[in-house]
Amino acid sequence: MNLLLAEDYLLQDYPEHITNTIRSGHSTCVRFNRTGDFLASGRVDGTVVIWDLETMGVARKLRGHSKNITSLSWSRCGRYLLSACQGWKAILWDLQDGSKYCEVRFRAPVYGAELHPMHHHQFAAALFEEQPMLVDVKESAQGANPVEVRHILPSVEKRSDDGADTPTKEKHAKEDARHMTTAIVYTATGEHLLAGTTKGRLNIIDATTHKIIYSEKIAGGVITTLRLTESGKELLVNAQDRTIRTFKVPDLTSADLDPDTIQIPLEHKFQDLVNRLSWNHAAFSSTGEYVAASTFNNHELYIWERGHGSLVRMLEGPKEEQGVIEWHPHKPLLAACGLETGRINIWSVTSPQRWSALAPDFVEVEENVEYIEKEDEFDIHPHEEIQKRRLDAEDEDVDVLGGGGAGGGDVAPFRMPVLFNLGESDSEEEFVNVGLGTLRRKSPDDQDDGAPASEGRPPAKKTVTQRTRTRKR
Amino acid sequence: MNRDEDTTEYQGRSRAHRPLAHRDRLPTSPNRTRDASASRSRSRSGRSRTRSTSPRSDEDEQQRRYRSRSSTSSRESRSRTSSRSRSRSYSRSITRSRSPRSRSRTRSRSRSSSIRDRSRSESPSRFQGRRPSKSHAEQLRPNYRPRLELSGHTAAISQVRISPDGKWIASASADGSVKIWDATTGNNLDTLIGHMAGVSCLAWAPDSNTLATGSDDKAIRLWDRVTASPAHACGDESNRGQGPREYIRGGSQLARTARGGRTGMGPLLGHHNYVYCLAFSPKGNILASGSYDEAVFLWDVRAGRLMRSLPAHSDPVSGIGFCCDGTLVVSCSTDGLIRIWDTSTGQCLRTLVHEDNPAVTNVCFSPNGRFVLAFNLDNSIRLWDYVSGTVKKTYQGHKNSGFSIGGGFGVVIDNKDTQDDYRHGNMGKPFVVSASEDGDIVMWDVVTKQIVQRIEKAHEGVCFWVDVNGDTMVSSGQDCTIKVYKNVRRKKHDRRLKFDKPNGISAIDGTNGHGNGRGIEINEAMGDDDL
Repeated sequence: MNLLLAEDYLLQDYPEHITNTIRSGHSTCVRFNRTGDFLASGRVDGTVVIWDLETMGVARKLRGHSKNITSLSWSRCGRYLLSACQGWKAILWDLQDGSKYCEVRFRAPVYGAELHPMHHHQFAAALFEEQPMLVDVKESAQGANPVEVRHILPSVEKRSDDGADTPTKEKHAKEDARHMTTAIVYTATGEHLLAGTTKGRLNIIDATTHKIIYSEKIAGGVITTLRLTESGKELLVNAQDRTIRTFKVPDLTSADLDPDTIQIPLEHKFQDLVNRLSWNHAAFSSTGEYVAASTFNNHELYIWERGHGSLVRMLEGPKEEQGVIEWHPHKPLLAACGLETGRINIWSVTSPQRWSALAPDFVEVEENVEYIEKEDEFDIHPHEEIQKRRLDAEDEDVDVLGGGGAGGGDVAPFRMPVLFNLGESDSEEEFVNVGLGTLRRKSPDDQDDGAPASEGRPPAKKTVTQRTRTRKR
Repeated sequence: MNRDEDTTEYQGRSRAHRPLAHRDRLPTSPNRTRDASASRSRSRSGRSRTRSTSPRSDEDEQQRRYRSRSSTSSRESRSRTSSRSRSRSYSRSITRSRSPRSRSRTRSRSRSSSIRDRSRSESPSRFQGRRPSKSHAEQLRPNYRPRLELSGHTAAISQVRISPDGKWIASASADGSVKIWDATTGNNLDTLIGHMAGVSCLAWAPDSNTLATGSDDKAIRLWDRVTASPAHACGDESNRGQGPREYIRGGSQLARTARGGRTGMGPLLGHHNYVYCLAFSPKGNILASGSYDEAVFLWDVRAGRLMRSLPAHSDPVSGIGFCCDGTLVVSCSTDGLIRIWDTSTGQCLRTLVHEDNPAVTNVCFSPNGRFVLAFNLDNSIRLWDYVSGTVKKTYQGHKNSGFSIGGGFGVVIDNKDTQDDYRHGNMGKPFVVSASEDGDIVMWDVVTKQIVQRIEKAHEGVCFWVDVNGDTMVSSGQDCTIKVYKNVRRKKHDRRLKFDKPNGISAIDGTNGHGNGRGIEINEAMGDDDL
């Protein structure tokens, strides 16, 4: 609704400045929900924190993991959240009451888990040194806990080497065994899965038959991130060959889809040839118009325009390397996790106050405008007549109910309950109120619950580098 | 317009309207201990004097001018002066001395009502040409009939609101208490005690489980509807308070007794003066408050934290509202300005001012968020298109020149759903409802501006607030009662029949002997209007 009153400043569609820093413990990954009013963040200590972006406050905390959260995924309705951790677990949370809707234990740490884009009864998980899995969550009868059914997904296409001799077969089998899936996402409809592997291959897996229908080597190194735009037509691939690539994804939903004719054409390659930078994480903007990436061993965020493939902006922030980066689903707003402090930094646009908005009889003009007096401007009319004329002029038809986005007709959207019992210890304010109007920055020794937990384990920086190292292997 | 002239008029208006404050201040809480209130008023006196005493001399002069304008309003302004001169004293004598005056007012109303009748008979004729085809208008007219009368408050009730789910009614009274009622049975479910002065405003959270109340003790309290206890867990209040030290200490002491030993359930403190209006965001995560300290505060409801403070106006903020998607906040003030704010940035996006610059005492967005309804102290309600910054409609016919009265939008739903030519489809027909200072409740058609129903003498004295939720309407007034009305859909032909039997639905509670009689009056009046 505020867009009705917005003016040209909103034409700026990528973030400019750091506007907020929020912190709860040490965050390692973030994810916006589909409507963009909540941000989920996963912490090193395994807590998942839901932030309300309107208040920049904590809306809910979910405790159930014990290790570093590696990925988060929201359901379409915004009621369910899937979190995966290095502690071999994925939990599907029901945010209505903060309970675990389903908890799935794997036999390895989870790289990433993604929820089906249409419903919350299926998700795919990429596992460390294991084959990826597709998990169906089946509602069991009589309100008992839902049961999960796992399907192992392939990472390698079936070889047609029936005629080959045994040593070749063995060699192939050995190779295949080391070929792992490191990233997995659903296509927009949820009928297919896109998976990136350790050898830089992109697999398209049919979500019902669990077979690879297409496979191609698209990158020179381990694929670390796969992201689709909201429409599902563009694919973003971050790989460890210091290159971010975008691809056009063909429509895979057509009935007469022939796997042999699928083509995934490369659109752009984004790299920093001068500094030879490697990218920690990459994200599409809301419309896919921009690509943002956080850099390895560097403080800046890069934003490219996808149309021309040109670099439009390097965002400066705190002197800190940024990890996971996320673009708001419809605003020019970027959230990134600082690797060292675990703070969530938010870049956005700040518009200046238009002073003419404060006084309705003033207009902001670029240059002098000669005032032309109206013929009747200083005519004096009796007050009653003016009043009567005014009232008679009000013959317009007004619609106070319809339109204007009031309806939002479809299913009643999920409304996050407003909790009051987050507790005093949970206020993650970095400033302590010490007196009348005086604030003090919280010193490290009086930190709240998040911090002591993270003190016990190795600093997060190490955890993350460990992760990258294992991927390189 | 001449600039000087402008300012003088501005001052005059802002003084004249002052009684809008006094509705909460006049009556006193009978169950409050004497010394408690005394100590409080002493601690505040230094502060309040600076605000209220110095301009009194020209205020009196202003009032003289005001009195000369109309006799009825002068009575009110005089009563207001008496209460203001005592600013925050809670002695019983005021209450007692008020009773004869209120009686005199009822007597005088017969005179004023005759004037009103005349104006009413005029108004339809003015809009006759623009009236839509009569059958539609008749079928989709509100027809609210009295159902219940709720009594229990000991002082005037400044606001009453129906919960979003329609099940509960909450009322805020100048006696310092807030009551929750069952909307269907009228039972008083809970009385929320904790405020140390009159309660001016309240707001329901969208989930209907939390209630926010704002009071002249400068505090905002959040209540859990189910347990009727403070809903907040935001730490001890001495941490967050920005007010004077001793006030906090005294406040928490009192509050602790109120909250029955529970800790960490403090109120939201931060305003430097009376909290006058409140609104929840549609998601329930933000609470907006307007105060006599001329600021609008946005609170993070979960943490009980002051999120943003908007230096909104140059006079007390008298009304506040959120639009349906929560991105805009509208605030109004007795300085005559209506301002639209961006919730996320806290910036003012638009200011609306009427040429005559009348004080605005209440404001709300239309259900679709495209218009703003503003209640002005020049006996009119204006519907603003805030994008173009123009007044689209002016609703007149009620009386509002001294108090901050409330109302809003309502919708009459067509039970046939078959009118193809009806523009809104089956969305129903919207109307504007407002309280009136002569005790009436007035409803207008949004488009034609014509009065579609008038409930006469709903309250003795001023009717302060009306709230509509679906077919239920509730009103509160100076007579310490709350009335609940139910919309009875008219059928085309048995309309006459209904007028003959006004008590057929459910008569007003027997507590008030005049109840039935009044019901008949309403219906007769409507019958005339129809013809």
